[in-house]
Amino acid sequence: MANELLFFMEVLVGGLLAGTMYSLVALGFVLIFKASATFNFSQGAMVFFSVLAFCGFMQDFNIPFVLAFILAALLMVVVGLCTERLVLRPLMNASEDTVLMATIGLGYVLEGLAQAAWGVEVRRLDLGIGDFPVPWIADNLKLFISALDITAGLVAAIMIIGLFLLFKYTKIGLGLRAVADDAGAASSIGIPLKHIMLLVWSAAGVVALVAGCMWGARAGVQFALVDLALKALPVLIIGGFSSIPGAIIGGLIIGAVEKILEVYIGPFFGGAIEGWAPYVLAIFFLLYRPEGLFGEKIIRRV
Amino acid sequence: MSNNSTNILDIRNIEVMYDNVILGLHDVSLKVPKGKVVALLGANGAGKSTTLKAISTMLASERGKVTKGSIDYDGNSIEKQNPSQMVGLGMVQVLEGRRCFGHLTVEENIISGAYSRKLSKGDIDQELEKIYGYFLRLKERRKSQAAFTSGGEQQMIAVARAMMAKPKMLLLDEPTMGLAPQLVAEIFNIIKELNQKEGVSILLAEQNTNIALKNSDYGYIIETGKVMLEGTAQNLLNNDKVKELYLGISKKGRKNFRDVLKEESLKKKSN
Repeated sequence: MANELLFFMEVLVGGLLAGTMYSLVALGFVLIFKASATFNFSQGAMVFFSVLAFCGFMQDFNIPFVLAFILAALLMVVVGLCTERLVLRPLMNASEDTVLMATIGLGYVLEGLAQAAWGVEVRRLDLGIGDFPVPWIADNLKLFISALDITAGLVAAIMIIGLFLLFKYTKIGLGLRAVADDAGAASSIGIPLKHIMLLVWSAAGVVALVAGCMWGARAGVQFALVDLALKALPVLIIGGFSSIPGAIIGGLIIGAVEKILEVYIGPFFGGAIEGWAPYVLAIFFLLYRPEGLFGEKIIRRV
Repeated sequence: MSNNSTNILDIRNIEVMYDNVILGLHDVSLKVPKGKVVALLGANGAGKSTTLKAISTMLASERGKVTKGSIDYDGNSIEKQNPSQMVGLGMVQVLEGRRCFGHLTVEENIISGAYSRKLSKGDIDQELEKIYGYFLRLKERRKSQAAFTSGGEQQMIAVARAMMAKPKMLLLDEPTMGLAPQLVAEIFNIIKELNQKEGVSILLAEQNTNIALKNSDYGYIIETGKVMLEGTAQNLLNNDKVKELYLGISKKGRKNFRDVLKEESLKKKSN
């Protein structure tokens, strides 16, 4: 009995830690949704693009780890800049659906560019953190929890806190929250929308890079990362599209639930239900609580 | 044009189109002398908001465009400007319907108005205190979320926020819409005070003809995108047609200027 409980705890903690990465990626979506009222379908491609560039800098050009990471982050800022200038600004007066379609197109462009520049083979990414149970926790708590999961959880937590502080206490953060509430009014008092867009897309890009590193270290840097990042969609349906706490908690729920379902119910379906179980959960939410857990109604810019 | 001209704003015969087909304004000319309050009066849909947005260049975000005529602000054409540049030049619009940032606190809302200025934390605090001097009510509520304040308080937030940008000119779009009479008077007192103590020139769009004219120096009346009548506030208040059509001092039903002009021309013909 005790063993079963321990096993359940292990699955739960592993799921929650993995869920922090979903939270982080979902946060990237929420930022863009708040600032430009559109769901950014290219976020998955941004994950793939950024981490592939990071691997490419390290492996093809022998650039040291830290420098390569900084370069990849800067590259994502440039991507954000180009997106604002070439896609969002010309579509400023277009409908939300048009912008949505544009982000889908942008996703394909990024995927294509990444593969054209760095090739199509799966790359191995070694962060120097093993994907094996931490001995201290295994000995003292009798839980087998991967060091990579713990690192991912910590990194995500630090980034979430960092973003929170940025939004709460800096001038540009104030500008971002103002634009998120009422872009027209923000523009009327001289908050330049293009700066805010640039900030939001850059932040989403860096978040994508971090998530890509964590996922890439486990499963290899490959095309499948695009779909993995789109798990943020059920996360947002559960948490609520416009709520930052919703994104964080939604990510944790998806992480935990998909692992638990995989372990306990998966065998009845022949396994591998992790990939689609979150979407089933999302459908239930759409049917019974469409505004998400946090009750903040989906706010649409008019 | 030189900067010494007495008009801070000079609009000549502008026409505005939305989506290249819908005519928003077809002939509006108006002037705002430096340091004065000018009222722009008219019913719903007359073109008051469109005129203000043409001045603040916010038309572009609504697919509108000035297709004829010219707008000069402080001696220079505004043709090539965007809204944040206009704020930088000292022209701030307070949009219709208050438009506070609901999730931000009252104080954050006001501080956001200083976004276009490069101020230190100390400067911002100093400016805030000055602004609170005009909006005592807001100081008490500084930590509340703006969405939970009353309509009057939200209007004050919107004006206070605009004042944080240190404007030379304010465009106020129906600042008293939906407010109780006592609050209407309070808002107008603040507007007067800002005009006199801070020297801000004001262009005020209102439906509330009576109180707007009582607090203005000059007035324009527009209907269906055209200026129908203009004059000093005192003259307009005493004008029989204005009394009849806009101040409700009449035994006949309400009409607009166009009907009156038609009647007069018919009378002339029959004579």
